[in-house]
This record gives sequence, C-alpha cells and structure tokens, in this order.
Amino acid sequence: MCKFGKFLLKLLGVALVLNVGLFLVFFFDLDGKLLFNVVEPFLKNHYDNMERKDTLKAPYDIDKFPKYDYNS
Amino acid sequence: MAKKDIKKALKDFWYGKPHSAEEGGRRLGDLHEEKTHLYKHREWRGVKDTMYYFYMIWLYNYIFMVKDVMVMGGLVNFAKGVWRYRWVGQTYLPVLHWFDRGLEGMRGPALAGSAWHYRAMVSTTIRQFQRMFAADTRLHGGKQNDLYKHTIAHNETVWGGVFYPWDGEITNVPLEMIPYFVTCHVNSHTVLNYIDAVQSIGLPGDPCPMCQAESGIFVLDDVPDYAKAVVTCNEACDASVSTSTLQDWFFDKPLFSLPMPMLVEDQYGIPFSWEKLVKKLELQNQLQRFEWEKWEVAGKSDYYPINGVAQALYRIYQTQYGDWEIWHVTDKKVRKILEKCVSKKINTFPQTRHRVIAWSCAPLYYSNWCTWAYNCWGLNVIINMDSLMFDMEIRTDSYEHTLEDMAQYHMWAPMRRMAVGGMKHMFELWEYMERFNCDMVAMYDQLQCKGVQGLHGLFEDEFRNRNVKAFWIPHALPDSRTVSRAEIRRLINDYMTTVMHEEPLDPSLLDFDDSMTW
Repeated sequence: MCKFGKFLLKLLGVALVLNVGLFLVFFFDLDGKLLFNVVEPFLKNHYDNMERKDTLKAPYDIDKFPKYDYNS
Repeated sequence: MAKKDIKKALKDFWYGKPHSAEEGGRRLGDLHEEKTHLYKHREWRGVKDTMYYFYMIWLYNYIFMVKDVMVMGGLVNFAKGVWRYRWVGQTYLPVLHWFDRGLEGMRGPALAGSAWHYRAMVSTTIRQFQRMFAADTRLHGGKQNDLYKHTIAHNETVWGGVFYPWDGEITNVPLEMIPYFVTCHVNSHTVLNYIDAVQSIGLPGDPCPMCQAESGIFVLDDVPDYAKAVVTCNEACDASVSTSTLQDWFFDKPLFSLPMPMLVEDQYGIPFSWEKLVKKLELQNQLQRFEWEKWEVAGKSDYYPINGVAQALYRIYQTQYGDWEIWHVTDKKVRKILEKCVSKKINTFPQTRHRVIAWSCAPLYYSNWCTWAYNCWGLNVIINMDSLMFDMEIRTDSYEHTLEDMAQYHMWAPMRRMAVGGMKHMFELWEYMERFNCDMVAMYDQLQCKGVQGLHGLFEDEFRNRNVKAFWIPHALPDSRTVSRAEIRRLINDYMTTVMHEEPLDPSLLDFDDSMTW
C-alpha cells in the first residue's frame, strides 16, 4: 500500500476512535456528570469565597451627573 | 429470545421505542438518576434521531460555542469572565443540558426545528456576555477601552430596536438578560444567590423575585462595568422602578429613563441615522413576517415543528433583543423544516391529546414543563402569551409612522402588555385560543406579581362561563423554592386524572425527584 493510502487509513482510524469516544461521552452523559460533580462545585466554592466590594458603602450620589434636559 | 422479541428489539433500535405505555413505551423517567436528574444514559431515539442529536445538536453546539467565544471576544476574556462572575461560570457551562431538558422525547422535524431555536439563543447569549467581558473595566485593570466607549447598557425590557440608529457604531447589551433572565432557564440555582443577597440587606421577601434578583446582582457586586451609560425603563410595575433606583446607586453612571433615545448622541457623540434605523426595522419586519407564517401553520395544522418551550423562549428573546444576524440564519433553516412538514403532511407531535395555549408569565426555572407535559400527558403547548406580545410590523414609510409604531412596540414589551397591561390585553386569550385552535389553557399564576394576582378571580369566572378547560401553574418566576417543579407536575397530574379522567402516555414521568437538577 502506498504512503498516502496508509495515511488515509490512519486518519480514518483516528476519526473512528474519536467518534466512538465522543459518542460514549454523549450517550452516558459524562459531560453532565463532570460538570455537575466536579466543575460546578469547584466554581461555586471559588465564588462563595471571593472577596467582594461592599456595595452598600458606596455613596448614592444622585446629583453626581448633570441633569438631562429632555428638550435639548 | 423469541423471534417476536428480536423483531421488536430491532425495530426499537432502528426507530426508537414508541411513546405510549400501550405500545410498550419508552419510559423516559427511567433514564434519569434520582435528585440530580442527570442521565444514566441519554435517550436512544432510533438511529437517525440519535445520530442527529449527537452530531447536529450536542457536538455541533459544543464546537460552535467554542467558535463563538473565540470570534466574539476571545478565550482569554471568556476565562477571565468565568473566573470573576458567578452567573456565567455556574450557569452557562452545562448549557447542553438545557437542550436536553427542552428537547427530551422529541423526534424528527420537531427535534431539529426546536434545536435550531436553542442554537440561536446560545449564540446571542455568548455574543452579549463576550461583549460585556471585552469591554469590562474590571477585567482590564480599570481601563476604559474603545469597546467600553462604544457599548451602552440598558434594562432588558428596553427593546434593543431603540438603538438601531447607531447600528455598527454602538453595541447595546442589556443589563439583566444574560446575568439574570437566561440563567434561570439554564441553571435555576444561580439566581438564588442574588435573591438572597438583596433580602440580606433588608428587602422583604414578597416583591417580584425578578426585581429582587436583578437588584441582588448589584448587591453582590457581580455586574461587569462595560458601558459608559445606562438606559432604564419601568417594567410596568413598582418593583422594577425600585430596581432602577438600586441600579442607579450601585452602577454609578449617567442613567436615563426612556423615552429619550437622543441621549445616545449626547453621551457617545454619534449622530442618529434614519437610514440605519429603516434598514434594521425592515430586517426586523422580515422576522415578524416569517413568525406570522409559522403561526399560520401552528394554528391551522398538525405540522408545526417547534415545541412549546423553543417557541416561547426564541420568540421572546428575538423580539426583545431586536434584529440580529443569527435570527435570520435560524429562520432560514427552520423555514426549510417547516415547508417540508407542510408539503409532506408530517404530524410533528403525533401523540397530541390537547392543543394548549399557555397564558401569562411562565416559571423561568421550569420553562420546559411543556416538554414534560407532552411526553407525559400529550399536552401540546402550541403557543404562549410571550410569543404574541409583539404582534405587529413597524412602518417605515415616514418618520412619524415609524416613531409611532416604535413607541407602540416598546409599550408592548414583556409584562407591559398582557401581564399587567390591563384586562383588554389579558382577555385577548379568547381570541388567540380560537386563532390557534386550542382546546385547553395552561394559566400561569405568578404568586408574587400583584398585578396579575388581581385578575385571578376574573379568569376563574370566565373559564367557567365559557366552559374552557384550564389548569393553573403557580410559580415565583425565577425562584424555584416557592413552588417546586415537582409541585407543578403534581398539580397538572391531579388535573389530568381528577378532572379530565385521562391516563398518562408515559407513567414513568408522573412522579420523580429532580430537586437538585439544574
């Protein structure tokens, strides 16, 4: 078999393995299980422990910006 | 194994198991794990539809989500945004499971048509949060970059069309649509953080939870700083006016209340363009005309290939956000599916027992209840109130006509027309019931909306007087803790057994525990 033929066969093999692998992830919902059990708890923990600005301490400067003239 | 069993197994493999219990049904409830509602394995819909779901929905959307992220703002901005903002990281990563919930049990054109609607919503969502992140001063060391200077923020109930005259120069990104509204549909847990946050500073628990959540995002300091100015409007209720007050405080920007689009010229120094406005309105009118064609098919035949949840969410998203390329791409694909269904007379929801119209505001955390209702009871939600709000084209033949129609359109925004827009609009239900040939009403009951609560008794009276079959779905818009999904299912089950005396199509869906699900 020529080099190109072998390359094509290899390419087909890789595509087939990739398709089967992805189909297994899809069918058994491995993406959902990973996101639900690992990714989301990790991110939630991160967000829960983030330092946040205390927005209540910001002054409410209602006159900070000039009054808009509706007729201009 | 008997020959008959082998034959049935082969048929089930090729075509998928039949829907109803009498035919040896597919028992969709058995596919899920308790509580989390994750799939033990995804549904086998037959060779053709399973492969369609795998390649054209699951894989296609994963690939195109990555592409959208890369094209619209880049991976770095996305990663920074996910790390900084809870509403994107906690919500949008499991988005394919939002597809699963909405498309469960669908086959053939109904599966394909509905999925394209979902795809358009995902792409538009990515567009918006990527623009927020690319312009966000918090993710760029406090710098106000060029994108920041060409982005305008606004309430999600300010129609995007208001900004058409500056198309291509200024990008409008609603404040709440992506950090709040869409999150509730995709992951119902995220929003609870924001509701609790605003109550923790002393707000009582009884105002509209939508307004609570929209304010709570600011209390938790979880809003990107992505625009020079913000445009607000009232959402037809006092609670939303209070939301604007809190937004004014926490966002600390020049804030304008509609109607007054000319502020854009003042703030951004870019002139109003009549030509751009007309061009965009014409494009939007094209979308409206196709929607009318869809309604014609939905109302007069059994060939409509869009399920209840895809119809509702796509339509409200498209009409409120305004014209955008992806809507046209999607409509083109859906037109092909629609025309095929009509020409080949394909009954897209063959197990329909009742044609349902859903009225008032839907529970955001359970917008896919109609998928469940069709699978379990054969209740096919043909149309809903949110789809019907913007039942108009906008004239472009003169400046006066255009402004008049734009004002009318804007006035008919979500909640301003049919939810709290007065009895005339609320009672348009009867006309639309006839137009869409529906024999049953799913009546939403937003427990914390004082406006609609006032009409509850009137509807009860009208249902009796008109002998209309109707069931109520109580809920608290985004807050899944007030009326759970299981409680909504129980109420519908009770109605279908005690009033309608019907048997479920799929008994495995009657009662299950999905309390922890997204």
